[in-house]
Amino acid sequence: MPQLAIETSCDDTCAAVLDGPVVLSNVISSQADHERYGGVVPEVASRHHLDLVVPVVEAALAGAETGMDDLDSVAVTAGPGLIGALLVGLSTAKAIAAPRRIPLIPTDHLHGHVAANFLEPDPLEPPFLCLIASGGHTMLAGVRDHAGFEVLGETLDDAAGEAIDKAARMLGLGFPGGPGLERLAATGDPGAFTFPVAMSRDPGLDFSFSGLKTALVYIGRDLGEEGVAERAADLAAGFQAAIVNQLVTKLGRALDDGDWPAVALGGGVAANGPLREAVATLCRERGIPFKEVSRELCTDNAAMIGSAARFTRALPYPEYVGFDAFATGPRGSR
Amino acid sequence: MGEASLSGFALRVVGFDTATDDTVVAAADAGRIVFERVFPPDGRPVHSQALLGAAGEAAESLGGWDRVERIAAGIGPGTFTGIRIGVATAAGLAASTGITPVGVPTLSALARSIGAAIAGAGMVMPLIDARRGEVFGGLHDGEGNPLEDPFVCGPVELVERLQEIASRRSLPISAGPGAIRFRSELLRAGLETEPDGSPVHRLAGRSLCELGASLEATGPETLKPLYLRIPDAQLWLERDGKTDHRTGTSGRG
Ligand SMILES: [Zn+2]
Repeated sequence: MPQLAIETSCDDTCAAVLDGPVVLSNVISSQADHERYGGVVPEVASRHHLDLVVPVVEAALAGAETGMDDLDSVAVTAGPGLIGALLVGLSTAKAIAAPRRIPLIPTDHLHGHVAANFLEPDPLEPPFLCLIASGGHTMLAGVRDHAGFEVLGETLDDAAGEAIDKAARMLGLGFPGGPGLERLAATGDPGAFTFPVAMSRDPGLDFSFSGLKTALVYIGRDLGEEGVAERAADLAAGFQAAIVNQLVTKLGRALDDGDWPAVALGGGVAANGPLREAVATLCRERGIPFKEVSRELCTDNAAMIGSAARFTRALPYPEYVGFDAFATGPRGSR
Repeated sequence: MGEASLSGFALRVVGFDTATDDTVVAAADAGRIVFERVFPPDGRPVHSQALLGAAGEAAESLGGWDRVERIAAGIGPGTFTGIRIGVATAAGLAASTGITPVGVPTLSALARSIGAAIAGAGMVMPLIDARRGEVFGGLHDGEGNPLEDPFVCGPVELVERLQEIASRRSLPISAGPGAIRFRSELLRAGLETEPDGSPVHRLAGRSLCELGASLEATGPETLKPLYLRIPDAQLWLERDGKTDHRTGTSGRG
C-alpha cells in the first residue's frame, strides 16, 4: 500500500509516494525566491511552503497514479529544521492523515538523509559510514542498523554548505552557492591561495568551517575588490579544495577508527563533483564500496523521509493529532 | 449579513481560527452551534497541539467528516505561524476529505462576534494585537462585512484613523485583543474599551461558522493568508538593498 511522505524543513517543498523501498514519485519544488536574499529567509520559506505544499502533494499522488484513498500512512519531517517551515508540512500531513484515521510517522530529517541509501534500486545495507553535508548540517553518521545512527562527529560552527554559500556570495555568485562555486572553481588553481586546514590536528571527528570563511575575508581584503574579481576562480578553487579536504580527512579518520565496510553521502553538498571524486578515491584506496545515490536523493527530498519512516515508529490515529514539530534535535544517537 | 444567503446557513460547518493567541474551534449544523471550544495560550499558543484534535471532535459532533459540508478557516491577519497552522490544517483536511474549504478573514469574524455581543452595534472596528507596538484592524458592519480595507498601524495612527472615521461617519465600537492592548490610546480618541475579561473581545466560533457558511467565494484559493505585512527581509531588501540587518537568513537543510 502506498505511503505519502512530506518534507518542508528548509526551502524545498517536497512530497513523495513510496511503496515500501520503491519510490513511485518524488516531487521537489525549489523556492527560487531565496536567491535575491542570498540565503534562506525563514518567513519567506514558510510562506512559500504554505502556497506549495498541497499542490506538491497532489502532484506526487498524480505522479504515482494513486489517490488519497489508497494511502496507508503519511510520513512527515518533524525536525530538525526551520520551525515555521516544519509546521506547515506537519500541519498538512496530520490533517491529511487524521480524517482517514491512518497512521502518521513523524520522521527525523537527518535520518532521512541516511535512509536515502536504503531505497531501491540497489539499497545499501548497514553497517556503513555516512557523511551528511548540507547548508544546515555537517556530520559523520555511523549507521549500524536501519532505525537510526550515531553522530560520530559534527560541525562546531558553520555547516559546510553554509560556508560555501557565504563564500559564493563574497565572490558575487548566486544562491545557493554550490553549483556556481563548483563551476568557477573548475577553472581555477586550488593551490594559488593558502587556506587554513581547520581541525586537521584535532584528533576528533568534528568539523569547523568558520575559519575558512574568515580566511577568505582577509584574502579578499588584501586583494581589493578588483583583485577578488580577477582571481575569483583561484579563490573558489582554493576554498572548495579546503572544504573537500576537511570533509575527506575526517571521513578517512572515521574509517581508521571504526570497521566500516561501506561509505555513503547525503545532503546538498554531497552533490559537489570534486567531493564525490575525492570520496570515491578514498574508498578505492581503502578497498571499500562507495554508495553514490542520485543528486535528487542527496538534496532534500521526501522519498528519503518515506524511507526513514519505514524504520520509525508509526503513531496510530489519534495519538498524533497533538504532535508538535521540533527545531533542533539532541546530539548523539537517534 | 448583507450578502449572506440564509440558505447558506443550512450547511454543516467545521470552523476554526488560529490567527490570535486563542485556538478557536466550532461546529454549526444549519446555523445551530453544536460544538465550540477555545484553547487559550499556555505560555505560548497551543495551535499545533490543540487544533486538529478539536477539529476532529467538531466533525464528530456533526456525525463525522463524511457529513461535514464546509471547512471554514480564519486566514488572518494575526501571528504568521498561527495563521499557517490553521490554513495548512484546513488545506490538508480539504485535500484529504474533498470537503469545500473557505477562508474567513479573521477581522470579519471578530467584527461579527463584536456585533453579536453588543446590541445595536452599527460600525465595528475589531483590533488584533500585531506585536511590535502595532495593531491589525479594519472597519466593518456589525455582521462582519468589511466597509474599508484592513490595515496595520501603530497607536498614533490608530487614533488618527478613528478620528478621521468619526468625522466622516461616526465613532465605531472597538474591541478585540488589540483594543485591550491599546486601551489608553483608544480612550484618547474618545473610545471606551470593555474590561479585559469581557467576552466581547473574543472571536466566537459561531461567527466563523456563520461567515464560512455564507461567504460566496469558496475553495482552496480562498485559503490565502492575509498577512498584511511583508517579511522583514523583503522590507529591508526593498528599502535598503540588503537583507542582513539581523541574522535574517539561515542555511539550507
Ligand atoms: Zn537536509
